[in-house]
This record gives sequence, C-alpha cells and structure tokens, in this order.
Amino acid sequence: MPAASRNSIGGGRGFGINDDVDILTEVLKRLDGRSVCVAACVCRQWSSIARKDSVWEELCFRHVSPGVRPVVVALGGYKRLYMVCVRPLLKRMTLARPDEVQLSLSLFCVHYYETLAGSGPPSSLMFLCNPVNV
Amino acid sequence: MVPYETAAAAPPIPIGNPPASSSSSSSTTIIPKPPEIDGLLAGAGYKVRSSDLRHVAQRLERLETAMLNSPSQQLSLLASDAVLYNPSDLSTWVDSLLSELNQSQSLPSLPSDLSDLMSNPTALDGSWMDQQLPPPTAAVHNQQPPQLTVVTAVEEDSGIRLVHMLMTCAEYVQRGELALAGSLIQDMQSLLTRVNTGCGIGKVAGYFIDALGRRVFAAGGGGGVPGGSAYENEILYHHFYEACPYLKFAHFTANQAILEAFDGHDCVHVVDFNLMHGLQWPALIQALALRPGGPPLLRLTGIGPPSPDGRDSLREIGLRLAELARSVNVRFAFRGVAAARLEDVKPWMLQVNPKEAVAVNSIMQLHKLLGPGSSGDPARPAPIDAVLGWIRSLNPKIMTVVEQESNHNQPAFLDRFTESLYYYSTMFDSLDACALQPEKALAEMYIQREICNVVSCEGSARLERHEPLANWRERLTRAGFRPLHLGSNAFKQASMLLTLFSAEGYCVEENEGCLTLGWHSRPLIAASAWHAVAETAAGAVSDVPVVGGVVL
Repeated sequence: MPAASRNSIGGGRGFGINDDVDILTEVLKRLDGRSVCVAACVCRQWSSIARKDSVWEELCFRHVSPGVRPVVVALGGYKRLYMVCVRPLLKRMTLARPDEVQLSLSLFCVHYYETLAGSGPPSSLMFLCNPVNV
Repeated sequence: MVPYETAAAAPPIPIGNPPASSSSSSSTTIIPKPPEIDGLLAGAGYKVRSSDLRHVAQRLERLETAMLNSPSQQLSLLASDAVLYNPSDLSTWVDSLLSELNQSQSLPSLPSDLSDLMSNPTALDGSWMDQQLPPPTAAVHNQQPPQLTVVTAVEEDSGIRLVHMLMTCAEYVQRGELALAGSLIQDMQSLLTRVNTGCGIGKVAGYFIDALGRRVFAAGGGGGVPGGSAYENEILYHHFYEACPYLKFAHFTANQAILEAFDGHDCVHVVDFNLMHGLQWPALIQALALRPGGPPLLRLTGIGPPSPDGRDSLREIGLRLAELARSVNVRFAFRGVAAARLEDVKPWMLQVNPKEAVAVNSIMQLHKLLGPGSSGDPARPAPIDAVLGWIRSLNPKIMTVVEQESNHNQPAFLDRFTESLYYYSTMFDSLDACALQPEKALAEMYIQREICNVVSCEGSARLERHEPLANWRERLTRAGFRPLHLGSNAFKQASMLLTLFSAEGYCVEENEGCLTLGWHSRPLIAASAWHAVAETAAGAVSDVPVVGGVVL
C-alpha cells in the first residue's frame, strides 16, 4: 500500500516504489516471466501493471523492430504470445535471432487462426508442451 | 522393372529378378543367381538370402536343441503331419517347424531333406556356418528348460516371422494364388494374437495384414478401403498435422520458398491444390505482413473436394483466413474451387491475372495424378501431363512440391508391398515417439488409410502412387520446369522446427537443392521448388537460380 511504503522508507517525504507507475513498469519489464507472475501476486497495483502488454513485449523480443507490434497485438497480444509460444520455445532456443523470432510468430499465428475456428481449444501448439527427450 | 514371371517352384524371395529355374536341380550353377542368394547353400539346393543366413543358423540351432530335448517317441511323429510348401526355402520351413514345436507339443513331420540335413551336417557347408554363427543367444537359451527355450525364441521372432509371412502372402497375391494368400492371412491373424500389437512391428504388421485381407477377401476385387467422407479425412489430416512434424515441415518449407519468390511483387496469387483447413496459410499471411516494404495484395485460390451436405466448407475456410488477414492488415481475397479430382480443374477456374506473381502449392497431391485416369482413352494425355501442362501455362513464379519419399508406384505388386512395408514401418517408428493422445491414434488411422490404398486398391482407385524425388525431378524437368534451390533459410527454419519436437530421431537433409525430412537417416518426405521456363530455340536453360534469402 502506498501509505505504508512511504512510512517504511523513512517517514514523511520518502519515495515509494508504488508512486510512479512508469518506473515500476520499467522495473518489471526487466524481469523474467516467472518473476513477473510472482510480482502480479503482490498487490492490486502490481497485478495491473504486470498485466500490461508492454511488460510482456520486453520479455518476448528484447531487441526486435517495433513493426512487429501491431501484428502481435492483432494476434492476441504479447502476454498470450509469451504463455502460449515463447515460454515453451525458450526451453529449446534463446529467441535472440530474428529467424527464431519469425518462427515463433508463425506458430503463434497458426494458433490464433485455430481460435478463429471456434471448434474447441486450439491444439496446433500442443506439441510444444512435451519435454525435450534427451 | 521386369514383371515377376510365374515360375514353377519359385520361392518367396522379394527381389526384382526371377530366380533360377528349378529349385533343387544341380544344374543351377550355370544360371547366374541374383546376388542376394547365398551361393554355397544354393549349390546344395537351398535358397536362402545372404542377409538371412545368421537368422537361419540361429533357428536351426534352436530347432536342433528342441528336437534333441523332446521325447524320442515324439520325434517319430515328425514324419507324419506337417505340410511344407517349399522345402528349399530354409528360413520359412525352419520357422514353421519351430512354431509347430511350440504350439502343439506334437512334432511335425520331418521331410527327408531335414533328416538328411540332421544326419549329415556337412550338407551345409561348414565354412559359412563357422563364420556366421552368433554364439551368445544360442548359448543363453540352451541353459533354460527346452520347451521354454522354444517359447521365448518364437515370441521374440514372431515379429520377424510376421514379416516373412507378409512377404510370402504378397508374393502369392502377385501370382494370383488368392486361396493360398487367404489361408496365410488367417495364419498371420492368429500369430498376431501372440505378438504385441501396441507398438513396433506388431502394429505395422497388423495394418498390412488388414490391407491384404481387404484385397484378397473383397468381393469384386480390389477395394473395401475404409473410405471416409471428406470431413473425416480432414479430421484425420488435422491430427496427423499435430502428432508429427511432416506436414508442418512441408508447410513451413513451402512458405519460406514462396515468401522469397514473392519478394518485390505487389500482387501475388497462391493456388493451393488441397486447402483442407488452410493451416498452411496463416504463417504466410503473417510473414507477408511483416516483410520489409509492407504486404502485397494476396489472393488465395483453394482447391478442395466438394462438400456433400451443402456446406460450402471452402468458403468457410476462406472467410477465416480473410479475418486473419484483416487483423494483420494484409489485403486478401479468397476463391474456392470445388473439384473431386485435381484433373477436373481447368486453368480458367483459377482466374489468374497475368500481372500477378503466381505460386502453385502442391502438398502430397501430384502423385494422385499418376494413375490411369478415369477416361480410359489412350489418345488423351495422362492426367499428370495434362495438369503439369496447364500449370506451366500459368507461368508460375514458383511451384512448391512436397511428396512422400518412396516408390509405391512400381508395376509389380510385390515391389510396392515391400517398399511400403519399410516406409510405413519407419513412419510408425517416428510416430511412436509422439506422446499426444488422441492425436497419435488418429494420426495412425490417417496413415492406415494410405496403407490400405497402396496395398488393396488398383487402377483408378489407387490414388497413393508415391514416387521418389528422383522420379519427380525427371518428370518435372521433362514437363518444362527447372528447379529452384531452397536455400539456407529454409534449411535453418526446418532444423529449428525440428528442435521443437520432443522426439530426437528426426533429421533434415539437403538433397541437391531440395529438403528432405526423415527418421534416423531414412528420408520420408521431400520438399522441392520449381519454376517454369520459356523454352529457348535450343530448348536448354543453363542457370539454376537460387531463391534469394529474405530475413525479417
């Protein structure tokens, strides 16, 4: 709670992390996926910030051209992209290269297309859920 | 390929050339033997393939052990009941003797050949026996009680027996001896009950036995394939798409080639020979949306079977694709062409605009045109030539062809059968690694339908006439196409895609500009790209252009 944190820092006019939403967003953007989800459990404010797509955009493609954004947004947003596609892929590739990014977008697009069908849950990405056989 | 001639006592050996004339005369030395048959044994009148020698030696050892360990009065019964069709085929009769020993406890009859063999072991040339005998398995088994020895041996080898019996049955079918084939099918079905049909050779053998049964027992010859409605086929196809990477590989590779070919064009038109659910196209639409310079106007013409119940399924798919294209801001137009067979499609139905760049996409469709065609009129061109002709007249910028990498279109039934047995065994192996249910079971049904079509259909009903890449190269070159090398981007993408699949046996290989996806170094599906060239006066084209790489 903002009041509590202000008091805890040093009484009176301290700066609380929850005062500035933009700073908080910038901080959360630099976390990994699991930490963002943990952060979302802290309080209502943190939860609403953690749900912002811009946080997930950073998570997905840290160094990719902004032209990708409208497409990702149209296909369901970065958070969905992360949950459905990027997170399973990160187990097997770093997603730092543009062609890896492109592949993940293509897979995401097929997934979105399946949701358009409306006939049951989309399943084209289920093969990603299997652990890698070593 | 020389058609298999009906020979009087020809043993069931699946090789191309007919074997030497008589099985046990001593004058066979002059006639050159096919390389697979062991020359030394052939001199003694036995036909055994060299690759089988170790197996036969093992089985003979076990047979000897079993016989030595059985009560002496039962041995005398060996002479009475068993009927052995072909004593010169060592491997089959040893197998059948061993199984009879196991089954009934009353020993089958011992033909005079065998008694000679047992009493005179030098009839088998000692040299090959010394070289070929594997010591461990026989030694281990001899320590166990004799009846148990035979049981475990048979259980292990039932799979191998099944394969032998399948080959024999196919050979009977080819020779037209359907009664023999039928009884062998019944034997195989009873053997199947003792084999694990949940995986491995048992499962594949089960499907092939079923397909042979349909061929042999069908009333009216060559049919009884589990024909599904187009709707059922789509569902099975979808699960095949999800359970294994073959279709994904096909789609992604073709898309990459099409994307690169469309570079710089503002009006593009894709013709899909088999739309299904249109799963290939979202990725292309998205890639076009993100290409530098912005997306072109994309037209898609999807060909598919007409829907029986009045639903326009092609149009529904088109609407869905259009919605996707709209959300990513790609100008899109769709047209559906309903045709029961590809040869019924005429180029005017596609409404190709001369100013647009055309891509023709055929995922496992061209082989269906290799049949005789339904008109039966020899004056008309073969369906494949007619279709390739009009494709060429469209002057496509690229034609992507993905086909199964195997020869299931040889004239002789036995050759087709053998090749498809190996091909589909490999494919089922790869599918075993998939853990998704019910995707895996439905994917297997999809493959089962292919097997049934290859094995039990003929004439215009046999659509699955797969041919290997080399044949397609030759055929497409003759039809006036030149290859486009697929390039390293497609290879990288295919390799990346494979790392996502949990099974570790898949491999992507590059084959003279084409990509193949296989399981443990056996290629199963091959993707290639082509374009039509205008013929020069000399009719020769020297350059093979490489499709340029566009990385987003």
